[in-house]
Amino acid sequence: MRAALAAALAGSLLSLSAAAIAASPTPRPAPNPPTSIGCVDCHLALDDPTVSPPAKAFADDVHARAGFTCASCHGGDPRAEDQEAAHDPKKGFRGKPSPRDIPTLCGTCHADAAAMKHFNPSLRVDQLSEYRTSGHGKKLLMGDETVATCVSCHGMHGILPVKDSRSPVYPTRIAQTCNRCHGDAKLMSAHGIPSDVYAKYSQSVHHEALMKKGDLSAPTCNSCHGNHGAAPPQVGSVANVCGTCHSVFAEEFKASPHWEAFAEMGLPGCVTCHENHQIVHPTDAFLSTGKEGKCGDCHEASTQGARAAAAMFADLRRLQEETDGAKAALRRESEAGMEVSRAQFDLARADEALTKARADVHFFQPYAVQQAVAGGLTIARTAKAQAVRLHREREFRRKGLFVSLALILAAITALALKIRDLDRGAAK
Amino acid sequence: MSSGAPEDGVPAPRPTGLAWVRDRLGWDGLAHLIAKKEVPIHRYTVYYYLGGMALFLFLVQVATGILLLLYYRPSAAEAFESVQYVMAEVPFGWLIRSIHSWGANLFVGAVVLHLISVYFLKAYRAPREMTWISGAILLFLTLGFGFSGYLLPWNTLSYFATKVGTDVPAQIPGIGPLLSQILRGGSDVTGATLSRFYGIHVAILPAITTLVLGIHLVLVQQKGMSVPPSIERERRPRTMRFVPDFLLRDMVGWLTAVALLAALAAFFPWELGHKADPFAPAPAGIRPEWYFLSMFQALKYLPAEIAGVPGEMLGIFFFGALAAVLVAVPLLDRGASAGRSSPWWNRLAGVAILGAIVLTILALLPPGKTSP
Repeated sequence: MRAALAAALAGSLLSLSAAAIAASPTPRPAPNPPTSIGCVDCHLALDDPTVSPPAKAFADDVHARAGFTCASCHGGDPRAEDQEAAHDPKKGFRGKPSPRDIPTLCGTCHADAAAMKHFNPSLRVDQLSEYRTSGHGKKLLMGDETVATCVSCHGMHGILPVKDSRSPVYPTRIAQTCNRCHGDAKLMSAHGIPSDVYAKYSQSVHHEALMKKGDLSAPTCNSCHGNHGAAPPQVGSVANVCGTCHSVFAEEFKASPHWEAFAEMGLPGCVTCHENHQIVHPTDAFLSTGKEGKCGDCHEASTQGARAAAAMFADLRRLQEETDGAKAALRRESEAGMEVSRAQFDLARADEALTKARADVHFFQPYAVQQAVAGGLTIARTAKAQAVRLHREREFRRKGLFVSLALILAAITALALKIRDLDRGAAK
Repeated sequence: MSSGAPEDGVPAPRPTGLAWVRDRLGWDGLAHLIAKKEVPIHRYTVYYYLGGMALFLFLVQVATGILLLLYYRPSAAEAFESVQYVMAEVPFGWLIRSIHSWGANLFVGAVVLHLISVYFLKAYRAPREMTWISGAILLFLTLGFGFSGYLLPWNTLSYFATKVGTDVPAQIPGIGPLLSQILRGGSDVTGATLSRFYGIHVAILPAITTLVLGIHLVLVQQKGMSVPPSIERERRPRTMRFVPDFLLRDMVGWLTAVALLAALAAFFPWELGHKADPFAPAPAGIRPEWYFLSMFQALKYLPAEIAGVPGEMLGIFFFGALAAVLVAVPLLDRGASAGRSSPWWNRLAGVAILGAIVLTILALLPPGKTSP
């Protein structure tokens, strides 16, 4: 009996959904939703793995907490005492919405600024229009129902606020949520999209910052691709996308000779050297002619570009080496007990200069790097000189100590002799 | 008789120059006293040098402390930087500061050893009870110098150690919170605490110490050196003159102390660490100076409550009682005062010293190995 009821429910959900939506315009949830939770009572009582879990999950749904009921999305009559009356299409019952209808259904409220003000005035209401510009939205419009809709990312009956760390769209969970589809090789191959994006992203500096360092502002999929309007950045807009966080690099890159050259060659800006998903820690070796070198991909050896890269690489390496040398020298003095905190504080500015020089590489002009490096070298050499001075001071102290100890020893000897004389005198 | 008194109607010639100074200072009387002063010679004579050593190290602290005062700035904004300046820029500033820091530790060590030797040699027995009591007070003052001086460089370790240290008196019922508030100059360790500790370190404690030390030294001169009962029972010991025989030997010890301080300063300059940041979390392994470690460790081992009374409060009462017993030993140890041996007092002191050593070692072990 129970199984029959469940089958009937599931069947009715499936068969009636399309008809119901086609038969009536998408209704808006009642501003004052009914207080009855008849649907939940019945669906829970069924204890059916098809229809019960949604009812159970809905208890924790952000919409349920805002007063919405099952009927707000599925229609029907939650006050009805029997299934037939509750699922009556005449009462607006539309059952399970098809993927094609979901964005519009959610947009009933989420695209209605006036409606949203009742529940969350700060929430944006352009998600639906954004979605229609996305790769997902466009494909859905063309009838491809395998693409992501609202429920693919947000869930269906246990939708949580984005700020809830359990939500599948919480920053630390977005990449895994996207990977549910984008990691599916079969599904992705049908769309001609690689399915190793998550694997690559998980090796990136961005993943490390987000997942290992807990920096929630670190980029995940939607930071570059957008969320509701998710689409791959176009070749010409990559620098703009990266520049939303890396603004200095983006500005310098736009002022560099590469900006126009890349545009002419159709190269995707930053991604050309840094990759897109597998963005690893950049190193000075990017400028080298070695295995990690990037410049050699375009600039043949002995060309002006290769020479510029070599000059910048040499400058950065020199500053790095001299800064490291000064640090090591100060550390030695510190370990020997000398006061070096002020020198170490000053030397930190050499690190800042090195960071600036590395950023200035994005001008792709050796003189820009040289300028930053020159300032850093002066600081590093001053610190090294201070370390040398401290070393000499330490040597002086030790020599001074031995002289003092010799004098003290002489004084003690003199005292001992005097004491012996006195003792001898007393003995006589 | 002083010069200048009429004799047979003929006025004595007025002293001039050095003779006048000696006359006005009453130097001859003093020289007579010094010449008369003798020190017993026996197998424990070596312990007599500890008092002179403690006095010498105290004077080293006074001298180096005064020199540091010329540069030190007692405010949260400038204290650390001023010590940094002394260490890095002032000629021989590193030496003075290191000697002051190392000297403080040697001074506490010398005072503690002096007290232990005096205790076991029963030098506190009649008529030297007050000498002992003033000496015990000097020990507390010495620890006060150490506690107040530790905060003055205003570095991370000193800041958090002082935070822990000034929390301890707050456990005393009734006046505890007020006492902690007075010590800190507020509810927390701030720049106000630093100013307060500076005042205590350079004015209040030196003033009290000068007075008590004066009394202690006068009493030592008045009562002379104590001879241990075991020696007294054997024979009357030989003696040596305080000046020059004992003083010259004392000087050998002092010169050795100077050499040790110079070597420590040259090879192990006292670290300055990092400037205190009241908003930073307390670093791991915060602990006070070694002479407070045994108490610190004992308080850590105490359970939160013992018979409904906070464990830490009981610990403080215990150490308070121990301090009171220490001061009152000459009055409590009646056997020693009557010339009899007092083995129970020796055993009690032995257990206390052993306990302090064990607790200190436990506190010095790496974290994780000492957790109760």
